[in-house]
Amino acid sequence: MSSLIDYLSSLILGAALLGIILNANEMASENQSVYNGDMLVQEMLVQTAHLIEGEFRNMGLGVAEDDKTVMGADTSSITFLYDYDRKGVVDTIRYYVGTTAEMAGTQNELDRPLYRTLNSGTPAKVGVVTAFKLRYLTRGGEVLATPVAVNRLSEIHSVELTMEVQNPYAVKSSAGAAGNGTRDALYSSSLWQQTRLASQNTRR
Amino acid sequence: MGSNHTILTIGAFIILTTILQNFYRILGMTGDDIGDAQDMILANTIATSYVEIAQGLSFDSYTDTANVALGSPSVLTSPSLLGPESSSEDSIQTLDDFDDFNGKVYEKEAVGANKRFKTSFRVYYVDPNNVTAVSPSTRTFVKRIDLRTWRSYPPIDGLVTDTLRTSFVMGYWHFD
Repeated sequence: MSSLIDYLSSLILGAALLGIILNANEMASENQSVYNGDMLVQEMLVQTAHLIEGEFRNMGLGVAEDDKTVMGADTSSITFLYDYDRKGVVDTIRYYVGTTAEMAGTQNELDRPLYRTLNSGTPAKVGVVTAFKLRYLTRGGEVLATPVAVNRLSEIHSVELTMEVQNPYAVKSSAGAAGNGTRDALYSSSLWQQTRLASQNTRR
Repeated sequence: MGSNHTILTIGAFIILTTILQNFYRILGMTGDDIGDAQDMILANTIATSYVEIAQGLSFDSYTDTANVALGSPSVLTSPSLLGPESSSEDSIQTLDDFDDFNGKVYEKEAVGANKRFKTSFRVYYVDPNNVTAVSPSTRTFVKRIDLRTWRSYPPIDGLVTDTLRTSFVMGYWHFD
């Protein structure tokens, strides 16, 4: 009888131990994918941000003081001028986002390509984003309605850009737990937001 | 099961619990580190935005109103008076020169992230030959703005708050 109790106790304790280890193992691998996803999107975001930051910083470079710098301003696209190759001729740069259909091959239904064009050249895909929102402010802080009317483009003093990058592939799926209108999978995401001056010719 | 076995089993479970606690703690710390990295990306973009705004302002309240080349820095704002010229210069939009940021603390929400960041500013005259050296009583043609940015909401657990420190140097120049 005593041996039987010993066996049963060992069995219960062994099962509990196995359960704990399996649970820890599952949690470790789940967290590993989440953390990897987080790191991946942060790297993707920083890479895209580096390019945009460099170009937006130069916005208006080489443009005559009385000329406007921003030639087109909408919620998710912007066209501006600066002397890209320092040859004394002002170039036209355009950033805009494509459609989600162009990234239909990924699990994430919100991601879309970000394009850049130089003058009338072929659009180059410079990143994949899930949000690319632009706001345009006057010197007095007024937020201009988009698309900004042509006669108000010269009033743009600063451009606020919010960009979000999400992992193209889900790191965790919980379809059963999702309610109506909510996404049924978890995607790592990273956010970037910056204000840039539309012209560099305002200093004294 | 004898008492020795019981003690051994309890001991084994204590060791196992300790190992598991450490395991989950390390797992949680890794998550915190990645969350902090995201916070610092946002803090960095916010600080850069302020620097960009500061760059677009006049060098000094004197040069804001007088568009002439200065031969001597003696007409510039006194080092002890660096800051807004009047109480009406309280929001970012009302600042009109570089040193108006001195002493200010602004809070900005990172739209979409439900996080807020505070930034405090200090502006100094610095030695043009060594911009790390503050010139506390002498006017020079070079000013430095020091920014400290940290997450103010959600509140940070524990005592340690990561703070991003960054600086930007602006010199006065004039085309004749």
